[in-house]
Amino acid sequence: MGHFVTSADIPENGEKLTHPLAKTIQFFAGIIAAAGIVISVGIWFFGSDKVSGSFSYSYLFAFTFFLTLALGGCFWTLLHNVTNSAWGTSVRRIFENLGFVFPFMFLLMIPFFFPAVQGHLWEWHTHFDNVTANEGVSRFAGALFGYWSNDGMKTALTDNHEAILATKSWYMNPVAWYIRSVFYFASLGFVIWLARKLSIQQDTDENPGVKNLFRARAYASWGLPIFGVAMTFWAIDFVKALDYKWFSTMWGVYFFAGCAMASMAFIILTTILLKKLGHFKKVVTGEHFHLMGKLNFAFVVFWAYVTFSQFFLYWYANITEETTYYLLRNTEGWNIVSMILVGGHFGVPLLALIRQDVKKNPKIMMIITLYLLTIHALDVFHMIIPERAPSLSLILGMKDIHLWFSGMWGLDLFAFITVGAFFIFIFIRNLRSAALYPHRDPRILESANVHN
Amino acid sequence: MSTSVKKVYGYLAEFESASHLWKACENCRDAGFKKWDAFSSFPVHGLDKAMGLKKSILPYLVFFGGLTGFMTGTLLAYITQVEIYPTVVQAKPANIFTIAAFFPIMFELTILLSGFTTLFGLLGLMGLPRLNHPLFASRQFKRVTDDAFFIAIEARDPKFSPEGTKSFLEEIGGKSIELVEDDEK
Repeated sequence: MGHFVTSADIPENGEKLTHPLAKTIQFFAGIIAAAGIVISVGIWFFGSDKVSGSFSYSYLFAFTFFLTLALGGCFWTLLHNVTNSAWGTSVRRIFENLGFVFPFMFLLMIPFFFPAVQGHLWEWHTHFDNVTANEGVSRFAGALFGYWSNDGMKTALTDNHEAILATKSWYMNPVAWYIRSVFYFASLGFVIWLARKLSIQQDTDENPGVKNLFRARAYASWGLPIFGVAMTFWAIDFVKALDYKWFSTMWGVYFFAGCAMASMAFIILTTILLKKLGHFKKVVTGEHFHLMGKLNFAFVVFWAYVTFSQFFLYWYANITEETTYYLLRNTEGWNIVSMILVGGHFGVPLLALIRQDVKKNPKIMMIITLYLLTIHALDVFHMIIPERAPSLSLILGMKDIHLWFSGMWGLDLFAFITVGAFFIFIFIRNLRSAALYPHRDPRILESANVHN
Repeated sequence: MSTSVKKVYGYLAEFESASHLWKACENCRDAGFKKWDAFSSFPVHGLDKAMGLKKSILPYLVFFGGLTGFMTGTLLAYITQVEIYPTVVQAKPANIFTIAAFFPIMFELTILLSGFTTLFGLLGLMGLPRLNHPLFASRQFKRVTDDAFFIAIEARDPKFSPEGTKSFLEEIGGKSIELVEDDEK
């Protein structure tokens, strides 16, 4: 036990991220993101059907990866507030800043609203388009501008041999899809904005009491259900719907496990880097790294648990609609990726994170968290990219159904860098716009002296 | 029976509060005592460091316990389901690639044996179960489960001396210092 941190150690006006390096990184990330977005639009407009179609998948992969980090930030903020926790007060602002990237991600989601992009990703959108164009059925007929679809649409879809889609059309129809997409960002965006605002208000409060803290706790109690709904249904509407015939009751949990694990890795990495820049000297100790490492470890195991449950039940039950997801991913090259995920997403981090001294060692944790983020990217890749070649082969009317388009990984990398640069730009903007930790929070001293 | 010679267990000293106990523990640790222990009715955070206790070897026992369970589960499933009596379900292969179906067994046995090792290893390392403890002979020691804090330095300790240890305990703030004798011989 070193010396106890007292209020004399906490700067009166908070610690700001003023290091010039942060500003430089933000500047370059902004430039890369802007250039990347311009080039992306160029690819969509001028690329051949195969290239622009492939790029839609690349972009969805990159977008989903960085969205999971932001969603995880929302989750950790709300969880910390609702459980009345004290241990993480000194790192809570990082959770909030990471979560507050989420509403900004809406800007990058706009391309998905264009039919040219949708058509390559989600075949069911195309089916609806065909029905509207060929049979003259209006999308907007029925209750609430066709939110629940309508009988004419169902009949037309059934006539087009899309009976499954007709049955699902009360949920899966373009009108409802657009409304829901906006709802996710508006609702959860509001929740995380409010949580961060309450926290920052405390920084300039003349009489810092417990008022903001208790309000944040009360808001988080209804914010968490909103998080659950927005996260789960976003994952269903954008990723699971890549194959509209497939269904899985584990999908939301599986997606969530990835969110929580990867974002905690990102939070640990950020804390280490900020500590390297000379921040958090008094308030973040090895104990915090130990606690966060434990959460990371827990979600490595949780991810394996739900992923395996989903695989095990669907693979051995062998029902056509259910097993199709794994059939595609256990064929040829994709089977290698699946196998790597078993060992790389579970075995290696399980053994690496099991020891206490490893979790307390920033140098080793930096390598482990970078590794975890990489393997999580592979997990998201494995969710989305296997759908690319088979779907596009059908849509573009190719003779053979391909499993893999060679040479398209360059587009994946490009989309990853574009969305990543935007993400880093917003994240550093959030970090710089407020104090790095809530220095007037009543629990900051308890958190700085935490011992477990 | 007052004439028979009794075995001396050691000195027992009471301390006023948890923080006095903590400071006394640091003094005992720095004085180089090895066979001694601190007693409190509730857990005191960081007392292990103040006492200079080493990390327990229990995690290593649990690791090997879990490993044994893992190997048992793997072999049990593999030998029965692949070697001796292959069960073909839904046309899935019956070879090493069936391993996904074995995971529940591997997992359960890993958990079971590491759980057992944790419980029994812990009891073994603590020396439990035992029928009696020499300190129960002391009347004042009964308060340890209520409101008192104690340190006991055993006579087995190489640094123990009848006069020196008593004055040392007085020096570090011990009250009602008592020489505890073992009831048994």
